[in-house]
Amino acid sequence: MEEDLFISGIGGQGIQLVGKALALAAISEGLYVMLTGEYGGHMRGGSSVGSVVFGKSPLKSLPNLPSAAAVIALSDQFFENVGGRLRPASLVLAEETIADKLPQLENPKLVTVPAIALATEAGSRMAAGMAMAGAYAALTGVVTVDSVVAAMKELVPAYRRQHVETNERAIRAGAAAVPPLAYPVSFDEAGAEPVQGIVA
Amino acid sequence: MALKLLDGSEAIVEAAILAGARMYAGYPMSPATELVENMARKMPESGGVCINAATEIEGINIAMGAAATGFRAATGSCGQGLALMQEAIAEAALNETPIVIFNMARNQQDYFQATRGGGWGDYRTITLSPKDIYEAVEHAQLAFHLADKYRVPVIFLGDNLLARTQMGVEVEKIDFGPLPEKDWQLDGTSGGTGNSRQIWTFGGGKANNPGPGPDGHWRRIAEKFDMIAGCEARHEEVFMDDAEVAVIAFGTGGRFVEYVVRELRQEGVKVGMFRPITLWPFPGEALEQATEDCRQVLVFELNAGQMIDDVRLNVADRKKVSAIGGVSFDESGLNLGPLMDARVIRERILTAMEGVA
Repeated sequence: MEEDLFISGIGGQGIQLVGKALALAAISEGLYVMLTGEYGGHMRGGSSVGSVVFGKSPLKSLPNLPSAAAVIALSDQFFENVGGRLRPASLVLAEETIADKLPQLENPKLVTVPAIALATEAGSRMAAGMAMAGAYAALTGVVTVDSVVAAMKELVPAYRRQHVETNERAIRAGAAAVPPLAYPVSFDEAGAEPVQGIVA
Repeated sequence: MALKLLDGSEAIVEAAILAGARMYAGYPMSPATELVENMARKMPESGGVCINAATEIEGINIAMGAAATGFRAATGSCGQGLALMQEAIAEAALNETPIVIFNMARNQQDYFQATRGGGWGDYRTITLSPKDIYEAVEHAQLAFHLADKYRVPVIFLGDNLLARTQMGVEVEKIDFGPLPEKDWQLDGTSGGTGNSRQIWTFGGGKANNPGPGPDGHWRRIAEKFDMIAGCEARHEEVFMDDAEVAVIAFGTGGRFVEYVVRELRQEGVKVGMFRPITLWPFPGEALEQATEDCRQVLVFELNAGQMIDDVRLNVADRKKVSAIGGVSFDESGLNLGPLMDARVIRERILTAMEGVA
């Protein structure tokens, strides 16, 4: 089974970094992973969508996901880019201040996280995405919170070392703000999919 | 096994260097820019050279020069850049210099460019069209092997999704078997010694070795491409054994179609996929056999209809063949458009099947 995730928000919120941190964390745990970014103008203020797919064997998912099992929403702006691509009973992990502005989805598993408040308390509201990454890890168990912290440390460039501690506090605060493994993800699947392929 | 999170461009560069590429003379153009950036970063570490050429024409001629001295060399750009390289690609084919040309294309509109070419003379270009990063890692190495095996230019045809999607991959060296010695490579021996070597498009020679001359040379080149056509066609089939409807797609499109075909199979729709892995040589005989019992052959490609020509040339009853793709770009004009989407492909397959019994 493959687990897929959208991360949706505004350019400048660190959406792509959240995706990369989760992807690197998964790699460090031996998972297969695919990471794509859709960001229109390569600038602040524009739409920014990341998508991550996790799995235990080489992935069959497509680079632009037709749908996903979960979304991390850091803004209600541009949410329509992914809102229509969620499955019934998808996990919606929403930043608390924008949660009620999201369109009503069919039977979502909605979890709100006060990510901006937690990040501000941790030292910078810019770390809100990190809090969401921590919350996603704690809720689903796709990766461990410690792996997310380690991946973040690997990703932050040398000239931004001063943000590492804030980021770590935000990740752990986000993880602590949600019920642990409330929506656990299992990669084991009953019944293998039909496979028939030849290469000549 | 240790996976690394790499985007396609970086994975291709690592694979090319692992395959022994020691010279890249490329030109940055979206979405091929990351390729030259990664080459610039990694090539020096391997003892190689990366040059950001002033033009695409310069780039391919630098690569040809390096290849003529026996080094594994490559150039690259997007299709717009390859348009400028056409004369040099033909030269390399006719003077038998093995080079690899990476086309990180903006779309699928370069099928004709890759398989028909725009230079003069009777030549073809082996074209590898990977469906994903895993296969790209193989093709980036295979391209250099085939180039050396046959002394031909080889095109690697990718796109923006391949270039920029990041995946956990392991880049491992692949052994494709032994190659002939490069007894033709220029070794610095100058004229007058009796031992100088020539690489010449017209097949001419020198006083002590007159060469085959243009007619003999070009006939031999044509025979060589015939021989390659007979043995290097590669393809992949998914669920074709009992398929009533075949969908033909290449590159990234193949991966998307495969996804949809697997989905439809689970719903009991007897559909299959046939994917040319080499666009030239086109796997025509295999396609003819695979589609023999199909009532419909649908061609999905993001262009106005290019590969469909090769499909019609090979499917026994060309009236079965119809297009379900089309021109589709994103707003920037630099990337694949909204048609490259599993939901759209699914709709188009099902619509095409309606009313055809």
